[in-house]
Amino acid sequence: MPLLSILKYLAILVWSGFVMAPLTWALTTSFKTANGVTSGPTYLPWIGYEPSLAGWRSLFGGAGGIDIVRPYLNSVIVTGSASLISIVLGTLAAYGLSRFSYRTGFVKNADIVFFFISQRIMPPIVLAIPFFLMLQFLDLLDTRLGLVLVYIALLLPIAVWIMVDFFDGVPRQIDEMAMLDGCTPFEAFRRVVLPNSLSGILVAAMFCLIFGWNDFFFAFTLTFTDTQLLPVAIVSLNSSVTPWWSLSASALISVAPLIVIAIVVERLLSRGTLAGAIR
Amino acid sequence: MSLVLNSVSLSRGGEIHLDDVSLRFDRGGLTTVLGRTLSGKTTLLRAIAGLQETDRGTLTRDGEPFGTLPAWKRDVAMVYQQFINYPHLSVFENVAFPLRKRKVAESEVGHRVRSVLDVVGLAAFGERKPSQLSGGQQQRVALARALVRKAGVLLLDEPLVNLDYKLREQLREEFRGLLASQADATVIYNTTEPAEAMMLGDRLVVMHEGRVLQAGVPTAVFDRPASALVARIVTDPPMTIVAGTLDGGRVLFEGGLALDAPGLLAAMPPGRYRFGIRANEIEPVDGGGIAGRVTFGEVSGSETFLHVETMLGEAVVQLEGVHRVEPGRQIGLSFAPERLFVFAAQGEGALLHAPGHGEG
Amino acid sequence: MDQTGLRFYKSSFLLPGLLVLLAIILFPLVFTIRVSLSGWDAISPGLNWAGVRNYVIVFGDRRFWEAMLRLSGMAIGTVLVQYVLGFALALLVWREVLFRRFFRVLFLIPMMTTPVVMSVIWRTIFHESLGPANDFLGLFGLGPYPWLTSANWAVAAVMLVEIWQWTPFMFLLLLAGLLSLPREPFLAAAIDGAGPIRTFLNVTFPMLAPVSIGALIIRLIEASKIMETVYVLTSGGPGTATETAGYYIYIRGLRDFEIGYAAALSITYLVVMIVLMTVIAKLLVRVLVGRSA
Repeated sequence: MPLLSILKYLAILVWSGFVMAPLTWALTTSFKTANGVTSGPTYLPWIGYEPSLAGWRSLFGGAGGIDIVRPYLNSVIVTGSASLISIVLGTLAAYGLSRFSYRTGFVKNADIVFFFISQRIMPPIVLAIPFFLMLQFLDLLDTRLGLVLVYIALLLPIAVWIMVDFFDGVPRQIDEMAMLDGCTPFEAFRRVVLPNSLSGILVAAMFCLIFGWNDFFFAFTLTFTDTQLLPVAIVSLNSSVTPWWSLSASALISVAPLIVIAIVVERLLSRGTLAGAIR
Repeated sequence: MSLVLNSVSLSRGGEIHLDDVSLRFDRGGLTTVLGRTLSGKTTLLRAIAGLQETDRGTLTRDGEPFGTLPAWKRDVAMVYQQFINYPHLSVFENVAFPLRKRKVAESEVGHRVRSVLDVVGLAAFGERKPSQLSGGQQQRVALARALVRKAGVLLLDEPLVNLDYKLREQLREEFRGLLASQADATVIYNTTEPAEAMMLGDRLVVMHEGRVLQAGVPTAVFDRPASALVARIVTDPPMTIVAGTLDGGRVLFEGGLALDAPGLLAAMPPGRYRFGIRANEIEPVDGGGIAGRVTFGEVSGSETFLHVETMLGEAVVQLEGVHRVEPGRQIGLSFAPERLFVFAAQGEGALLHAPGHGEG
Repeated sequence: MDQTGLRFYKSSFLLPGLLVLLAIILFPLVFTIRVSLSGWDAISPGLNWAGVRNYVIVFGDRRFWEAMLRLSGMAIGTVLVQYVLGFALALLVWREVLFRRFFRVLFLIPMMTTPVVMSVIWRTIFHESLGPANDFLGLFGLGPYPWLTSANWAVAAVMLVEIWQWTPFMFLLLLAGLLSLPREPFLAAAIDGAGPIRTFLNVTFPMLAPVSIGALIIRLIEASKIMETVYVLTSGGPGTATETAGYYIYIRGLRDFEIGYAAALSITYLVVMIVLMTVIAKLLVRVLVGRSA
């Protein structure tokens, strides 16, 4: 059916266009100057407007922009450490929940798993004020450590959720066998279970990084200047006289590392690893 | 020197898996545990291995308490019914794993692993990953890993059940040789197949719904099953068992057939009993006999089993050789009354009389 | 697996994660409940006791309940569109399509981008005279439209951005589900001579029901937090046309500093959300599984 085929590719191309539109717009805008912006929507350099690197320069100390290096570093450090800690704690907890039965009063494994996952229902605004006061009390307001703590609360549930499902799919006879071969549960976990769970951990890590990197609200309410994270720095450019060129350049810089994650996620998807991890 | 279970019970979620089990396993002996699926065999092995905590009772080994040790200190090796190996390690490293864990010197590891792989016929496959092997080969890797340690207790949980018929026969032969060489170990082998249990075991334990029904030398259990239930479990195809009455030298079966009771049977007190006859004791006869209709026939190896609907209920008839019998065909059956087992009419049907050897 | 000698190990695996989460989450939750029973505001900060007064006010706060309703409408609307589009896209690049791995990566990209940063870009796109949105529609003789300054268009703009951002998430979960389906049912359908539409209705869709339920619920939960898009694009305006519950709480709490009242709003919001999510989850299971059974 060639007609159906044509429609299929047409649909794919239309959606691709929609997906790429904002990013393409940002790319072309990042090379504009004030003149290029105020003369109305133009798309092609040299033809529509005179390209300039001013927008990009403004991110690295140039005029009229923000210094992006420091917030970038903050974002990398905070997201990276919170993800790492969440993966470690989440993987251990998920392994326990998958393999052992816990019973305290009426609380059973399923209830504990639900407690972890239910954290995602919590609207950020409910947590924001107490987090603010808690960090103030701990003297951690406007510090990376404070943000890492808060991000762990956001990311740990994701790690537990993905890893419990993953470990449920790893035959438990493997770890039992390791214990009969003389391993304590820790050794069985480290020597036998972990090497067979790397793809699951990778999936969990991807999701932690995406959700951590993309948070704005907590970074916005819990930091001021010292530990401003990337999204906050970029949004601070957003005002009535927004320098569109700096804004676009910074947006592209912030999105860039996640393109790599998109490629990794697609690989996991096509290898079928993701299907096991997400159900 | 032996492994002893004393009144061990275990239940989970309201289901009883082991019910007051007392058993003794001797070193150097191979005990087969025979029972249907969910009879508690697997739980028995898991309790011995320390993978499942018991509720009551004690386990001792050579007089020392054993049940309180964690699994990783018990010196127990196990082969699962699924082919369980470490997927990320090569065959060689799989087998070497328990040795490395015990800090055995590298030269000795190499030597021992190679010789065990040689024994199980996988010498050429050391570099492969388990997933690159066939099912039978994977199970041999699992066996090699269990053997290489020279563990004091070796548990095998229906290791052949997931293999196809031919491979099962072949591996069963191999296992017999390999397990016999484990003279210092206590070996326990679970199976659902009476023939396998008879062929491999020095001793036989029959389990049902978490209880031990009978334990003893396989031929003794086979010749004198403790009850009608044991008789059905240890014979394949299951013994045909029919209720009836013994009265004044005649056996009157439910369904109306009457036979003269021979010798010893005639001497038993009159009353209601259950009577059992093995499939291989029933013969088809041309004309006459007990009338029956074939419901289906199955060919297994070099034998044919006919399931026949008779006035006595369903009877299973074992024929030598391969026969084609159409379902629905009318045939006559006969058996020698002196080959009848007699069980009590109540409960599981305790054995009251078994036919002797050499008769009939 | 319940074994001898395991107690220590059992706790060592679970407790670090559980205790850390409890420590970080429990304080805020309990604290919020306490604050909601106080009259904490800019004039008299601190934990005095106001009883349930805040809740009584919440009950009669029209602006809050309108924001709740608006939020529910926007969340359910965008999630349904995301589901339909995501499903369609997943089907498009599921099988024999040229460059399918390239398109899969492309389709995933929006969910990887920072919502708030992209919202800033979208704001420039929706600019009435300088943005490309009206320029593009002008090609078809449409517009110009007052994207961010008229109530209906502002709602449409927020929803469009949400759809752009999160359709990939639906796409990802549904494609993962599609790729894990066994082949046999499709062969059986082909042998029965079923066409593509019947195969979809009788095989593909029912088999993806569990994945669909999971994906819809996850997205509804996340969509119930719509707020950053609103903050950047419209600041809730014009008027209160795009104000969602989260954004309203933010205004009362962190801008007007009526902490006690905002806490009461938060708790009310949380309770309503949990009840709604439970009901929706049950309904979804009935609709999607009931149909295919």
